[in-house]
Amino acid sequence: MPDLLLDVQGLETQFKTPEGVIYAVNGVSFGLKEGETLGVVGESGCGKSVSMLSVLRLIPSPPGKITAGKAYYRGQDLLQMSNEEIRHVRGAQIAMIFQDPMTSLNPVLTVEYQLTEPLLLHLGMNKEQARARAIELLEMVGIPNAKERLADYPHQFSGGMRQRVMIAMALACNPQILIADEPTTALDVTIQAQIIELVKRLRDELGMTIIWITHDLGIVAGLAQRVIVMYGGFIIEEAFVKELYANPKHPYTIGLLGSLPRIDEQERQRLFSIDGLPPVLYNKPTACPFSPRCKWAMDRCWKENPVLETVGPDHRVACWADVKTGRAR
Amino acid sequence: MTAYIIRRLLLLPILLFGVTAMIFGMLQFLSPVERSALYVRDIPKNENVVEGIIRRYGFDQPMYVQYWRWLVGFQVADDEFRPGILQGNFGWSRVGTQPVIDLIKVRFPATLELALWSVFPIIGIGLWLGVQAAVHHNGWFDQAARVFSIVGTSFPTFVFGLLVLMIFYANLQWFPPGRVSDWVNQEIFSGSFRQITSLITVDALLNGRFDIFVDAIKHLVLPILTLSYINWATFLRVTRSSMLETLRQEYVTTARAKGLRESDVVNKHARPNALIPITTLAGFQVVGLLGGVVITETVFTYPGIGSAAAAAASQLDVVTTLGFALFNGFVLILANLMVDVIYGFIDPRVRIS
Ligand SMILES: Nc1ncnc2c1ncn2[C@@H]1O[C@H](COP(=O)(O)OP(=O)(O)O)[C@@H](O)[C@H]1O
Ligand SMILES: [Mg+2]
Repeated sequence: MPDLLLDVQGLETQFKTPEGVIYAVNGVSFGLKEGETLGVVGESGCGKSVSMLSVLRLIPSPPGKITAGKAYYRGQDLLQMSNEEIRHVRGAQIAMIFQDPMTSLNPVLTVEYQLTEPLLLHLGMNKEQARARAIELLEMVGIPNAKERLADYPHQFSGGMRQRVMIAMALACNPQILIADEPTTALDVTIQAQIIELVKRLRDELGMTIIWITHDLGIVAGLAQRVIVMYGGFIIEEAFVKELYANPKHPYTIGLLGSLPRIDEQERQRLFSIDGLPPVLYNKPTACPFSPRCKWAMDRCWKENPVLETVGPDHRVACWADVKTGRAR
Repeated sequence: MTAYIIRRLLLLPILLFGVTAMIFGMLQFLSPVERSALYVRDIPKNENVVEGIIRRYGFDQPMYVQYWRWLVGFQVADDEFRPGILQGNFGWSRVGTQPVIDLIKVRFPATLELALWSVFPIIGIGLWLGVQAAVHHNGWFDQAARVFSIVGTSFPTFVFGLLVLMIFYANLQWFPPGRVSDWVNQEIFSGSFRQITSLITVDALLNGRFDIFVDAIKHLVLPILTLSYINWATFLRVTRSSMLETLRQEYVTTARAKGLRESDVVNKHARPNALIPITTLAGFQVVGLLGGVVITETVFTYPGIGSAAAAAASQLDVVTTLGFALFNGFVLILANLMVDVIYGFIDPRVRIS
């Protein structure tokens, strides 16, 4: 594909634990076009965070290890870069915000310190310039009394305000890509909506490219253009938002959406939620990892892991079954 | 910060009451005759006046009256005021044949000097070892540190002390036991040497006597080494686990995601957080050092408060022992206050609530 800003191919990440090797990410490939917002959805434990952290080589190592794959950013493989080189990408080109604003800001450092740090580091500003910019950033994300609040510590802010500080910090150096790892999951609903509005506004103002991780397909609908659905460390479906909602192909996606078109009402009830939990994979799957929870599972599903196949314009799915007919595709 | 310190200071009287009440309570296990050692030098010689002593000093009075008199002193007669604890009357030391407070005044500076000199290597090097072990989790440094720590914990102090004494004194003759050499002792008591702090190393520098300073340091090396060794083990272990815990926190990932150097991630983002639980331990260790380190002082015939307390206890000199205990209580309260203040400095959540 031409002009991809980020091009991830065959990414695999594993964790060596006392209980065995966890296959967290098992060959994930996706592209990101400049200016688009990509939603990444899936239940907790599906490998969303590990995939994105791996791209920036931020997984804790040990126990984590990226065992295969490439991640081209502007033609350069992030996974092959030296430690020094990737440092200049982190924060400056690709920034990240995390789930819990209570724990993702350092409790013993002032907001000013944490906010000016990337400015001093990547943009070579001096203290006064960085301070002025920090005030600007806080104002930009809608924190009142920005100037006075610089001297405060994270615990003096509410959860929503802290996430705003996190966003300000991530955007400090005008990064090309913002990776948002469930940034609203820990917040209550009204605050959640405010943060999403803020990100939308900033995206339009700054022309940012965003990867938005969430387990909530509802959030993605209003935010992203394209969605990838993850399960068991695999991408199991990928499509434009409208297509995915109108025409979900993977039983897991259907389960996440909580409804299935063109099926009678009784069936619909049963599909409202998916029983069971996503697996922790201690072996590299040789069958479809979703088959234990899948009502369409056929013989083949237990024997062979489906690969992503194109099933429509820009729509790819990894499933042996055709959910409309219930038979093999 | 000021508000926080004031709040801490307000607790002080309560703590002081607790400590004094406890020691006073223990004194009540003694007979009035024994307790009169608080006010009378040589009880056996005055046996025939015991009845008079009891009445004179009010050992037949209600408890709260006795406690108050014991604490702040009282007017025995028009011309006779008996000072209490707050005036520095800790009683008469049978073992030391001097007031307990004088014994403390002689012995405590030695202990303080040893403690002050030991704190830096214990905390400085212990912290460094622990942080390195955590940063190189499960690497060779971590493994080596673990062995070092286990050996340190399981090696009895006196064995280690005797070992270094054997090597560095008996064989190499580098570092002698005791506090200072005889010639220094003579100098000190000759009058030309001004005793300002009673810490010989400090006084030597203040007097411009570098030779005395070197002599005192030479005597300190082995006890410092011993104390460091036995304290490092604990310090390293706690620092390591605290640091490991901190390195797992999300804000460390945030710091890395900003593109910071790993050294800045560790030293500026992780370590200050890891210090919070370590401060408590450091406080305990300092208190332990100030309370006197009996075995170390005994092995190196270092005349500190620990060996004096041990001597008093072994000769059943209860007044002296409890006097030391009381003094130790005061030191503990003070050290606690210091730990709290340090807490406030490193943890804004404590300082600004
Ligand atoms: N530090 C770690 N050590 C061991 N296993 C981990 C670690 N981090 C993640 N994993 C495992 O990797 C898998 C994917 O986790 P993650 O990417 O965090 O899921 P998600 O973000 O989709 O909720 C999970 O099975 C999880 O147990
Ligand atoms: Mg996650």
